[in-house]
Amino acid sequence: MDERPLTSPTSFVDHIVVPGDVVLNLSSMANHTIKLGGGLRQDCDAISVMKAGKLRFSKPNKYWVESSQKRYVPCVEDTILGIVVDSKADNFLVDIKGPALAFLPVLAFEGGTRRNIPKFETGTLLYVRVVKANDGVNPELTCTDASGKAAEFGPLKEGYMFESSTGLSRMLLSSPTCPVLEALGKKLSFEIAVGLNGRVWVWADLSSVGRFSVNAASPSTVILVGNAIMSSESLSGVQQRIMVEKLLQRIQ
Amino acid sequence: MEQRLANTWRMSVNEKKFIETALLADLRVDGRRPFDYRRLTIKFGRQVLEDGSSEVQLGQTHVMGFVTSQLVQPYRDRPNEGSLSIYTEFSPMADPSFEAGRPGEFAVELGRIIDRGLRESRAVDTESLCVLAGKLVWSIRVDLHILDNGGNLVDAANVAALASLLTFRRPECTLGGENGQEVIVHPPEVKEPLPLIIHHLPVAVTFAFFGDGNIVVIDPTQNEEAVMGGRMTATLNTNGDVCAVQKAGGEGVIMQCLRIASVKATDIRSKINSAVEAHNMEKALRKIKRH
Repeated sequence: MDERPLTSPTSFVDHIVVPGDVVLNLSSMANHTIKLGGGLRQDCDAISVMKAGKLRFSKPNKYWVESSQKRYVPCVEDTILGIVVDSKADNFLVDIKGPALAFLPVLAFEGGTRRNIPKFETGTLLYVRVVKANDGVNPELTCTDASGKAAEFGPLKEGYMFESSTGLSRMLLSSPTCPVLEALGKKLSFEIAVGLNGRVWVWADLSSVGRFSVNAASPSTVILVGNAIMSSESLSGVQQRIMVEKLLQRIQ
Repeated sequence: MEQRLANTWRMSVNEKKFIETALLADLRVDGRRPFDYRRLTIKFGRQVLEDGSSEVQLGQTHVMGFVTSQLVQPYRDRPNEGSLSIYTEFSPMADPSFEAGRPGEFAVELGRIIDRGLRESRAVDTESLCVLAGKLVWSIRVDLHILDNGGNLVDAANVAALASLLTFRRPECTLGGENGQEVIVHPPEVKEPLPLIIHHLPVAVTFAFFGDGNIVVIDPTQNEEAVMGGRMTATLNTNGDVCAVQKAGGEGVIMQCLRIASVKATDIRSKINSAVEAHNMEKALRKIKRH
């Protein structure tokens, strides 16, 4: 573990921590600048944990606690799946599984002007990016990437959306590709959109059904993918592959 | 207003459409077939809540049943009958749409369905709960706590009620004193507590109807409940008698449902019985060890 910061002998990095754990002692690491993320707080020289999860460290100096929960805490630059709840003159109100509804300005689309405001009915599923997440104010979303292009953002049509924990969606997005998606992708073709807020959207076209499931209609592929993902949360990589194998055998 | 919006549980259009289209092909989103029941697990209290408490899990749904008894004065018109009452508690932890304190419309309906199945079918013998005619009877109270809502609360709550009633033991009491009219309640250490007399087990089985009523599924999940056009709960007892039927909207083939329900009810009943037996066995074994 070369990630282990040299200054702290008992490193908690990549280990489970609980509230109250003191993970770093600043007095022993003078001349260091560190950046603290979610779940950590500083009391004088001690850096202690505020929520249960795994302590993460990213070079050169960032520390944060990663946990898996049902509620999403908005964070800038996260890509998430939101559901339109209401539309106002300036904003769409979007549910992002967070403590407050998020605002999606009606102009936050590629080439958005007052003339071409999109119409979304209540319940539309959107793939969006968080641009503002400050305390006390509703988070703000956008449907463009940093350069103002639509990229992949926008409404998701058809398909099926299911809820997961934030930990599971982070696992699905991790690189290298997580085993469950890799194993599924070898045999089936499907589209997937994973929101960091614990929502996953899956879509499989009838025409895109893979070689191994010629007779299967698209809903069966979607259901299979969805269930495989949902049951993979607590499994190891090898277990995930076995589970997918078993599921695929059943539909053949 | 915004707080209220944030608290309601909502579903995307995609989910609703997909559930409907998948059902047309006889597929359900959790991989079950239309007439498959979810996994049912029954657990009993071990430590403090020794008797009369049960925890039932039906897939995601999680219900706790808890039975207590009290000596009360009987009703005027039924001087020698005890009473059985059902109370439901919907925690906002189970579903954000449940409000704390005030029971919602569905909480009342759920209580009524279970009440009708258990009480009006006379499953629990109330006359044996009489201690002193016209003066003192046992009042049995069943509390049903919804801990997690994953759909089909009625069936889960019904199983929880039955399981906790089956394991409940009330303290034995005798008449004594100078005039033989004084009631003595014996603590469990002195005299073995008595079980309730339960004549039959009414088991509720819920169906959901979709479309024009030609698509029927058993044991709907929370997502399916949000999409369904109607619902029917049939409560059947050991002899296959229909104790209660609650049908809320929608069209469906009732006779066919009842036939399927009677098969499923038998399955569920045997599960309850084996769980209760295992619990009683464990209790008996623990007693031996103690001495």
